[in-house]
Amino acid sequence: MLEDVGEVTEAIPIPNVNENVLKKVIEWCEHHKGDPPAQADDDSDSRKKSSDIDEWDQKFMQVDQEMLFEIILAANYLDIKPLLDVGCKTVANMIKGKSPEEIRKTFNIQNDFTPDEEEQIRRENEWAEDR
Amino acid sequence: MARQPAPLSIAPVPLDAGYVIVDQNSTSNSSSSSSPERFTNDEGPDCFMSNPDDSHSSIAELTDFRNMTVSPIEKMASLRKPHPHQQQQQPLSPVNRLPPELLIAIFSKITSLVVLKACMLVSRQWADCSVELLWHRPHFGEFTKYEAMVAAIQDENAFYKYSQLIKRLNLTPISAKANDGSMKPLGLCTKLERLTLTNCVNLTDSPLMDILGSNPRIQALDMSQLYNITDLSIDVVARNCPRLQGLNVAGCKRITDVSMVSLSKNCKFLRRLKLNDCNLLTNSTVISLAENCPQLLEVDLHKCHNITDESVLHMFNQLRQLRELRLAYCDLLTDDAFLKLPNRTYELLRILDLTGCRLLTDQSVNKIVSVAPRLRNLILAKCENITDRAVTHSIIKLGKNLHYLHLGHCQHLTDRAVQALVRHCNRIRYIDLACCTLLTDQAVCHLAGLPKLRRIGLVKCHQITDYAIQTLVRRTNDAPCPLERVHLSYCTNLTVNGIHDLIKSCERLTHLSLTGVDVFYSRKDFTQFCRPPPEEFNEHQREVFCVFSGSGVEKLRRHLSAERATSAGDHPFYNDEDDDTQEMEDDGEAGTDGVED
Repeated sequence: MLEDVGEVTEAIPIPNVNENVLKKVIEWCEHHKGDPPAQADDDSDSRKKSSDIDEWDQKFMQVDQEMLFEIILAANYLDIKPLLDVGCKTVANMIKGKSPEEIRKTFNIQNDFTPDEEEQIRRENEWAEDR
Repeated sequence: MARQPAPLSIAPVPLDAGYVIVDQNSTSNSSSSSSPERFTNDEGPDCFMSNPDDSHSSIAELTDFRNMTVSPIEKMASLRKPHPHQQQQQPLSPVNRLPPELLIAIFSKITSLVVLKACMLVSRQWADCSVELLWHRPHFGEFTKYEAMVAAIQDENAFYKYSQLIKRLNLTPISAKANDGSMKPLGLCTKLERLTLTNCVNLTDSPLMDILGSNPRIQALDMSQLYNITDLSIDVVARNCPRLQGLNVAGCKRITDVSMVSLSKNCKFLRRLKLNDCNLLTNSTVISLAENCPQLLEVDLHKCHNITDESVLHMFNQLRQLRELRLAYCDLLTDDAFLKLPNRTYELLRILDLTGCRLLTDQSVNKIVSVAPRLRNLILAKCENITDRAVTHSIIKLGKNLHYLHLGHCQHLTDRAVQALVRHCNRIRYIDLACCTLLTDQAVCHLAGLPKLRRIGLVKCHQITDYAIQTLVRRTNDAPCPLERVHLSYCTNLTVNGIHDLIKSCERLTHLSLTGVDVFYSRKDFTQFCRPPPEEFNEHQREVFCVFSGSGVEKLRRHLSAERATSAGDHPFYNDEDDDTQEMEDDGEAGTDGVED
């Protein structure tokens, strides 16, 4: 991100990230500052199983949903890909093993399908099974 | 469902009639600088030649995705059927604050199609963000599931235009039931990048011409064993699939030079090509490929019997990227194919298979090693003219680069060759010396000096005795013997003692063949752990068949140990040895992982 801005002496405003969230993000960066830089082909990791989150990160992500999604938004805004990855994996793990209704409950999502539409999507995707 | 014409003036992507933009009032306000990277690495087992190179188009797509002025949600909505009623404003719970690309980033961490299917049923926005991931690479274990998928892509009133979402398709799991009628609807797909039809033997040209004709983005195509297809299908590929990088038509015996020459001229990005058993093909095809497809990395011409020296010379002259060349049973090849090569080196060539090229002599081997010093796999099985000289003067120069060497049926080889080989090429992991009948225990004792040897083939090396096997598996430094697959069929001098030591010392053993070794095949208490003989074997072959694999090896190990234990009183010497070796194995166990390279 700093590369985008160029060399500056003044403070860089971060209007989209509030103080509490920024503190969390900085805490994460402090803990991971010694990590080896991501490989160029690191994309292969991004499709990896969502369960492989290291222990510290798992604890770090034990926050309420409000904070969890704020961290994801901030990581995206601040372009911190490894943190974004951990956030996404955490949410993916919350989705796993739940029925659509349980997912809606977990995340407080309103079902905006009509019953017919829901049935139609169910039918059209009925083939999907795991490898 | 009332279908409206597509409002093309605001359409972000080309639309098909019946699919219109849906108002996505609250969801398309994203402006992320780092869009989630999707599909860039979805290499899967369905690709017959998986390689990162083949994902180019997906990367291109990613670039599109980043530069898109249209958000993915609009793109999805464009493929969705019209929304019949006004979308309600949702209360903003935390998850609803995520822009679509972040929702997609989350879904892209999910590999289970069942979980993605649940996501699709949560809400409209979730469906829009997960449908592409769910349909990117459909998978079905049963034909009925395939039929259900086809029904969805054929339904004009379907919720999404699913046919446009499928990028990769592997029908191998349902190959037995795949036929022309059931494949026809796949012609509706137009975005396929990989299509794997291995063993769909009932298919003919008709549906393939449709499918291939409507999928210009195909990069990897596997039609192996579709023996009914002809030049008609290959011609369509030549005309329509300029991005093709991988083609496997092994066993498509009806293909001729006519279509393959035109394919070589139009598919200039070909990198991997398997033409096994396409025995109508001649030098014309190979020469045209060499001239037109400079990026070829892997070429397999197994049993293309018409190929001559000229083809080999053209390939070496023009294909500087060549990494893997298989010419097994191209039995017209002579030493000229290699002796006439220019004296430059092919640093990239790693695999050369010359099985059954019976006319080749030590001279060819010498030239090959000098132009391809980094060969890792060298297969000279059934090159019957090869002598010790090929090994002692040439092959040993490959040194540590050589990992895999097949010299089966090179009957002139003696212990001397093996001794030289082990001294110079100590990284060998796989060696096959089947039917090298001059070899004695000494050769096998030398092989014990290969620290990384995993697989060894000594079939019909009939001079070998228990002593050789016991030496082979013993390790001086308490390390466990790394052998995993051992082929000792027809080594008729072997006894139970030798095999017991082998199976006890090699804790990683997963395959042991002892066919024709009568002290084994004649004992019911051993053969009960064998795997069943192949169907096509006759009665005699069945009688002598004796192969242990997987859990069979473990069962045999326990059986032999138990037998030893009960007769321990008679053989105190063996009892002691048991204890020693047991300790050795236990010690070695912890370090086993570290030994892995």
